Amino acid sequence: MTFQDLILKLSVFWASHGCLLQQPLDLEVGAGTSHPETLFRVLGPKPWSVAYVQPSRRPDDGRFGQNPNRLFKHHQYQVILKPSPDQVQQIYLESLEACGINPRQHDIRFEEDNWESPTLGAWGIGWQVMLDGLEITQFTYFQQVGGMDLAPISCEITYGLERIAMFLQRVDNVFDLEWGGGVKYGEVRLQEEVEQSKYAFGQMDMPAEAFARLHRDLFDQYYGFSERLLASGLIWPALEHCLKCSHLFNVLDSSGSIGVTERTAYILRVRQLAVGITRAYVGQSNPPSPGSGEASAKITESL
Amino acid sequence: MDRELLVEIGCEEIPAGWLPGLTVQLARHLDARLKEVRLTSSARAESYSTPRRLTARVAKLAERQTDFEETVTGPPVGAAFEADGGPTPAAIGFAKKYGVDVTALERHETPKGAYLAYRVHHRGKATIDVLADVMGGLLRALTFPRQMRWDAHLEDGKGDLVFARPIRWLVLMYGGRVVPFVIRRSELAQGPNVQDIRSGSQTYGHRFLTTSGRAGRAIKIKTFEDYQARLLENFVILDRAERESRIRRELETHARRLGGRVSPSTSLRAGGLFIDQSSLLQEVPDLVEYPSVVAGHFPVEFLQLPEEVLTTTMMHYQHYFPVVDEEGKLKPAFLAVTNTEPEKPEIIARNAERVLIARLRDAQFFWDEDREATLESRIARLSTILFHKKLGSYREKADRVASLARWIAQAAFEQPEAVANDAERAGRLCKADLVTDMVRELTDLQGAMGGIYAREEGQPELVWKAIYFHYLPIGVEADAPPPRQQLGAAAVTWAAVSLADKLDSVVGMFIAGERPTGSRDPLGLRRQAQGAVKILTDLPELTGLHKRLRIGPLLARAAEPFGGYGDSSAPLVSFMADRLGYLLEQRGYDVRNVRAVLHGGIEGVSPLEARLKIEALAHMSGSEALLSVATLLKRVKNITKGVGDTRDWAAIQARLVEPAEQTLWSQVDARAPGIRDASARGDYREAFAGIAALQPAVMKFFDDVLVMTDDEPLRHARLALVAALRDVILAIADISEIVTES
Repeated sequence: MTFQDLILKLSVFWASHGCLLQQPLDLEVGAGTSHPETLFRVLGPKPWSVAYVQPSRRPDDGRFGQNPNRLFKHHQYQVILKPSPDQVQQIYLESLEACGINPRQHDIRFEEDNWESPTLGAWGIGWQVMLDGLEITQFTYFQQVGGMDLAPISCEITYGLERIAMFLQRVDNVFDLEWGGGVKYGEVRLQEEVEQSKYAFGQMDMPAEAFARLHRDLFDQYYGFSERLLASGLIWPALEHCLKCSHLFNVLDSSGSIGVTERTAYILRVRQLAVGITRAYVGQSNPPSPGSGEASAKITESL
Repeated sequence: MDRELLVEIGCEEIPAGWLPGLTVQLARHLDARLKEVRLTSSARAESYSTPRRLTARVAKLAERQTDFEETVTGPPVGAAFEADGGPTPAAIGFAKKYGVDVTALERHETPKGAYLAYRVHHRGKATIDVLADVMGGLLRALTFPRQMRWDAHLEDGKGDLVFARPIRWLVLMYGGRVVPFVIRRSELAQGPNVQDIRSGSQTYGHRFLTTSGRAGRAIKIKTFEDYQARLLENFVILDRAERESRIRRELETHARRLGGRVSPSTSLRAGGLFIDQSSLLQEVPDLVEYPSVVAGHFPVEFLQLPEEVLTTTMMHYQHYFPVVDEEGKLKPAFLAVTNTEPEKPEIIARNAERVLIARLRDAQFFWDEDREATLESRIARLSTILFHKKLGSYREKADRVASLARWIAQAAFEQPEAVANDAERAGRLCKADLVTDMVRELTDLQGAMGGIYAREEGQPELVWKAIYFHYLPIGVEADAPPPRQQLGAAAVTWAAVSLADKLDSVVGMFIAGERPTGSRDPLGLRRQAQGAVKILTDLPELTGLHKRLRIGPLLARAAEPFGGYGDSSAPLVSFMADRLGYLLEQRGYDVRNVRAVLHGGIEGVSPLEARLKIEALAHMSGSEALLSVATLLKRVKNITKGVGDTRDWAAIQARLVEPAEQTLWSQVDARAPGIRDASARGDYREAFAGIAALQPAVMKFFDDVLVMTDDEPLRHARLALVAALRDVILAIADISEIVTES
């Protein structure tokens, strides 16, 4: 099964289970959770089921295309089920079967692994799903987002597409994967990986201080603008600019441009903004009423 | 007739580490709930668990609640009857409430006087009608290290039912009949895919395996015996002990087939620093419902990696068991415990190999890269890792630890300059591995990895071993790792660095305001303090040094770089005393003896001395004479409150008149130097024996002499005499504690 076939199979599967098929967020993010289709939709009472691919950038994981398992940018297949159906684990296992993984021939386990995002004021309870010792999926029941208790509870299923494809194709190097039609993953992405890694670690024709200064400036500008957008009640654009800050922070971090104390301060700033945005979203789409007031009233800080 | 109660809470996978505790909780809470509702059983509840179920069974539970009587008091008798003897409205009202005549009421005598009373007879309800409440109480009583909300609640008006993971089915049967019970789902969530959970008589087997029908289908059950048998048919071994022994058996068989055995971690150079085989063996039975073992191999070239890296990668990150040959050397093979009975084990083995090899390849890369730079050259980068916002980075911590380790080696251990130099260097380098790729990836290897890299770059044993083991000890037991023979010549430098690191953390964090409270100790300061106390307590065994070091000066020196304690001194001292008390109690010593040897504040107490004293006390535990002195010491302490040190000992004698007091004076005079001397040598058995030998004289004194005489000079002399006795004893231990009610 090619990389693109895997995406197609999962999409067909989840569409048949009532998910809307969404498109990736067209911004640089670290995980599918940052997509408003997750971050906003899990808030409030309205049922929502959605699935999409999310290219996810982790500057710190950039390895110049030399590591067979690690990437600056990988692909997640993200599924949100709200409320979480009683049969969710069974449905998930059927999705693996749909991709050609026969559970009777393998050792599939749900091992405790909880998830937390300090910058989003979010956390959840769940597992990593292990397939013959390989972690292929993160399975999370969201408990809080933006510091707010969620009701109903959403389930987030995040498949690591490259890993599953490597498993199915029995290749040991991600760049040897067949993306589709005989074209290798490396042909599609290797050059990008090399260049993005160089960028992430500041290996370019620019002095380190200037590199750091530029990214700090960009951070501050986007941050300030996101606040303005939020103040104007433009919540979606505000989130997008907040996510840009989050990515810039990751680049500052991977390129070694910030110290420890500063690092904590950056995380805190992003968190403040993200929490403000998610709260505004709850307030806007669910004006306080007997049905939805509970979620916004029960604001407790998780960090 | 007594019948069987069967409860099964069917869950999504519960974290393995929680299951042993939850199994215990389940039986305990069930017994408590049953007792609360007056349901008797001939045997206590048994409980079982697998990752997907918590099961409890009471073999014989009574069919009805026991009846009981309750006496309800009404108005006082004085207010219950009119002058003519007829009942007052108060008495009539009370009787009416219970539907009886006033004549049916009794008189109930209380300390406040006589009251009218009515004895209510409560007839027990049928068990089947009470069990729903028991079930609700049971679900509410279970506690978890971390709980989740899952849109569920009970009909008890207490709101959300939080749990470990979502509950998917519920068996609640009494005498083969289902007891109705329901877990409701919130309105927001409810729909075709989210439904209430109703108790039933159906369980579920293994997710993927079955002998008949479709895997994962519902299985109807009747009794516990039937339940256990049907589960086994459907590839669920309910009894954890059975799963564990099956795992052990299969591990041994496979290891033998590979020409080796399962690695016991003690044979490793690392020496129990990591998750060892026994703790992995503790964990895996709770990860599986139907275990079987598959064997895999990895390329022999990876055996060049340090054993610590190989075993940590296998055991901690993959839950695989390493295999060793007869000499205890790792073989290029591993054993994986799976939760299935694989049609083709080789498929799972190949996949497991690929995962492990990918990890080992990463480790190989880190190993090669990390050795390109020396630990010394990494110290600068430690400034990018924050230790604590008020205490600076790890760079600053490393400097403090280096200086403190030198001081401990030189001033406290009285070691030569060369040893102090090595301790200082090990202290400087001990945190440098935090900025190696290997430790960033395999965090469990911190310390050990630094030690290995130090060894690779040619640091002497005194330095690399001190780094390697500096996070130890973790346990407080006398034989907690590291063992002396592994430390070898580095025992002294190790003790200096380990103490320095722990004291710096504990003292620094207290000064920064991070004090553990109740169950909150996020920085693990209790464990660190215990580690430090353990080193001081077992110093001779660990290092060969017979130094009875006091905690006060060590803490004071550790506080110097922070500009002194501030207001942390008192809490810090009592914190350390608690940790030493904990250590001694963990070693099985009576809490009264612990109080006796820790009296007078820990600043003046040396943990080693405390240990020697408590060992001597335990040895003397049968001594009637010592117990008698201990009892009398209590009186002595009471009457000499406010009486200070005895200044002019010799002058007292002249003022004493009674023979008994003369005798006591000469006995104290004769024995005190020997007691003090024995104590100074650390021979507390002899010291306590000396104290016990004073018993006849002390006894006679209190029998014959009235201390509080009106003759003031005589009274002062007598008080001075017993105060001197008191001080001789208290200088060693407050043995009056050993006769208190514990």
